Amino acid sequence: MIAISHCSKSYPSQNGEPAIPVLAGLDLTINDREFVCVLGPSGCGKTTLLRLLAGLVLPDAGELTIDGRPITGPSPECGLVFQDFALLPWADVLANVAFGLEVRSVPPAERRARAQALVDAVGLAGFERHYPRQLSGGMQQRVGLARALAVDPAILLMDEPFGSLDSQTRRALQEDLLRLHHQNRKTVVFVTHSVDEAVRLGDRIVLLSARPARVEEIIEVGLPRPRPDDLGTSPRFVGTKEYLWKRLKRQAAAGTGANVI
Amino acid sequence: MSSDAATIASTEPAGTPGGATGQDWRPRAASLLGALVIWECAARLLASPVLPPASAVLAALIAMTASGEILGNLAISLGALTIGYAAAAVVGVGVGAAMGRFRPVEVILEPYLNALLASPALIYVPVLFTLFGATRLTQVGAVFLHTVFVITVTTQAGVRNTSPALVEMAAAFGATERQIFWKIRLPEAWPFVMTGLRIGVPLAVKGMVNGEMFIAFMGLGALVQTYGGRFEPDRVLAILVVLILVALAGTSLLDAVDRRIRRPA
Repeated sequence: MIAISHCSKSYPSQNGEPAIPVLAGLDLTINDREFVCVLGPSGCGKTTLLRLLAGLVLPDAGELTIDGRPITGPSPECGLVFQDFALLPWADVLANVAFGLEVRSVPPAERRARAQALVDAVGLAGFERHYPRQLSGGMQQRVGLARALAVDPAILLMDEPFGSLDSQTRRALQEDLLRLHHQNRKTVVFVTHSVDEAVRLGDRIVLLSARPARVEEIIEVGLPRPRPDDLGTSPRFVGTKEYLWKRLKRQAAAGTGANVI
Repeated sequence: MSSDAATIASTEPAGTPGGATGQDWRPRAASLLGALVIWECAARLLASPVLPPASAVLAALIAMTASGEILGNLAISLGALTIGYAAAAVVGVGVGAAMGRFRPVEVILEPYLNALLASPALIYVPVLFTLFGATRLTQVGAVFLHTVFVITVTTQAGVRNTSPALVEMAAAFGATERQIFWKIRLPEAWPFVMTGLRIGVPLAVKGMVNGEMFIAFMGLGALVQTYGGRFEPDRVLAILVVLILVALAGTSLLDAVDRRIRRPA
């Protein structure tokens, strides 16, 4: 279980102006094996929340714990998937997928076997020796996903992972992610600015307020899993989306820029 | 397998450093041949004592090789070249990496580096001669000082420009600062390091000749000095050909090493 209590974080601004508060006393609990989507207006601090969970930054105040242990730095329990993929351009697909294992000093043979299994799982069999620049954006993010899963984390942290992909590719990756999640249930914290994506993927949706972010509302999606093929036409799906849109618009208007979603 | 797997941006083989591909040699050979013909004709037409024809230079090269002058001095020169260049590579990459990685080191050393880069390396040679006399140390030192600053500055630039996204990614997977250096910063800086090392090869050859011409009794540089003094331009140019070949061979060797290192594990 992930517990975030009264968590605050601000970033120092340039030219000696006062620090910009990004999170202000945020509280959130995420259960094991739950798929949580974090939704909020642009620039509200979604990514900061994820970086805190990843242990890449520490909170100014408040506490974050995983199974009761405070987060003091990057934890082997977490696997990260990045918005900009963050692949090593000089390494091929297999070496990229194996990166987390390499860092953890897993022996080469085991590393290769495990990386190969994940390459197969994300549908990249046959592309092991390709380099990132030889792959489309969607395939690159499959590599990013495989790399995160290769270390077998209990928690998968995803920072707008499909944000830069075209809509078809995005749908394909969403479906693959749902399939992988169904096969091997992990806790997933998925940051997105897409309402459609949040409802499609999540068990719960955490709606954040404009900066400084607090939890504005938590929505139970309540759609069945595995998600049916005709999800897009289900009244519940459409209704939840409409509702979230309205809430999000209000949040964005309350923020600094009026329509910056 | 999903739809996007079929769209592959490109399928060219990864990492082909250096410019030339297999097709380039024909126009290059033709150009070289043309230049030699023009040289030969121009020299014969002008009949100037300062411009010997290509055939005379070739004859001088053959004669000097046969007499053992070239090979004996080449061996001496190559020894100094290798030692000086290797030392410059180690020091240049080490100092450059430290400067690129640690801001205080950069702040302190950068003015000196810029000053040394701007100064003509030739002026170090008399200083070395004063310090070490007509010894190998002067010879090696000249090679080193001609080469080290370029390697330092390119390595510094490469290590400094590590993408924060990759460093953060590695940190998120629990990489230590040491692992981040070896697995992220250095590989990312590698093309810069290689550029410095490649530029360094002809500079090292220059340093070698400059040093030897000053010392004037060993190596190919000394030979240049001798025949220059006797006004035998065909022999001087023959040595120049050897020097160019040495630089080209060095660069090719470096490219071969680079290809081997970059080959995926």
